[in-house]
Amino acid sequence: MKHLPKHLQPRWRYLAVRFETWPDATVDRGAFQRELWYAAQNLLGDVGSAAVDLTVVRFDGWDGGGEAIVRVRRGECERARAIVACVDAIGSDPVGLRVAGTSGTVRACEEKYMRGGPERTEQRHVTVGDAERPAVVRDGRLEYRMNDAFTAGTPLDIE
Amino acid sequence: MTRYEAVHADPDGDATVARLALTASEYGYDGIVVRNHGDASPEYDGDRIGEKYGIDVVEGVEIRADDPGRASGFVGNHRDRRTIVAVHGGTVEMNRFAVEQPAVDVLAHPMVGDGDFNHVLAKAAATNSVHVELSLARVLRADGGERVQALRDLRKLRELLDDADAPFVVSADPQSHLQLRAPRELRAIGAVLGFDADVIETGLAAWGELAERNRERASDAFVEPGVWLDEE
Repeated sequence: MKHLPKHLQPRWRYLAVRFETWPDATVDRGAFQRELWYAAQNLLGDVGSAAVDLTVVRFDGWDGGGEAIVRVRRGECERARAIVACVDAIGSDPVGLRVAGTSGTVRACEEKYMRGGPERTEQRHVTVGDAERPAVVRDGRLEYRMNDAFTAGTPLDIE
Repeated sequence: MTRYEAVHADPDGDATVARLALTASEYGYDGIVVRNHGDASPEYDGDRIGEKYGIDVVEGVEIRADDPGRASGFVGNHRDRRTIVAVHGGTVEMNRFAVEQPAVDVLAHPMVGDGDFNHVLAKAAATNSVHVELSLARVLRADGGERVQALRDLRKLRELLDDADAPFVVSADPQSHLQLRAPRELRAIGAVLGFDADVIETGLAAWGELAERNRERASDAFVEPGVWLDEE
């Protein structure tokens, strides 16, 4: 369809969303988009959901986390924040999210807030309490496996 | 205004105190209150963690008991050792017990399970300065009917506390670093729920004010409110 004249084009804001997961989680863009829509509909209903109009425009996931840019209608940033806060899992993987910042263009958002993944992720054994445990270490944080479940810690926990 | 969040660390939750402190400081919190249940206390060095991640780590406890008699004993045990003493609410008896005890700082999540609250309890909370928790846990992490119920309960609680001018705290009640949410996000939720603009901020700050007050009381110079020993 023909482009809308400029004054009729919707104005957007872009939210940089950073998220963390457990190391064994696999999260993709489609699943994240779906969760955002569910969360919006559950929190604000169809009307509010349509008004905020959340769309994932960039997505970069890695082991243990990722970041994304979410487009929302201008003036709806605060409600979009509330929706993002209400996403507690992507698929069946628990996820912790925060809005790192907002910008008026995708490019500004990328330059200002997208940091990329950790430089390296390392699998090794760590000593927690009195036992050796397999762990995933990255970026000043680590997750060790205990009875089939992960526990999240930092280097302070294994000194 | 300072912002504090009250967390459940390993073994109650899935992250250690250090990890919660790290994530909370990244999210812009000034402090965390470790409020593990009395039977699942974590081992940690709060000062060291606080120094490393630039955040205040407050030692707390959430007393969980089946009946007020037993809870009363636990409150006595923990009061001298912990900066913040909370009571795990959620039954009518425990809610009433907590708001009638000046030694209790916080009544946690009074509306979960069979718990309920009314104007009499709100008034008692105001008299005894027991902070009642507005817990956003189920708003953030439940859905469907359970969430509707949580929202209804939260509104009722808010109205009662407002009417009695009772003190309150706000928390997302995270059990892991993944369940933490930044203060600004909580404020956005508050706006959607129809809370006054400063309710969330006041509630997050209240944890810090409690910690400060209790630390002052625990210091050697303290005699009673308004009376202290001067150094010289």
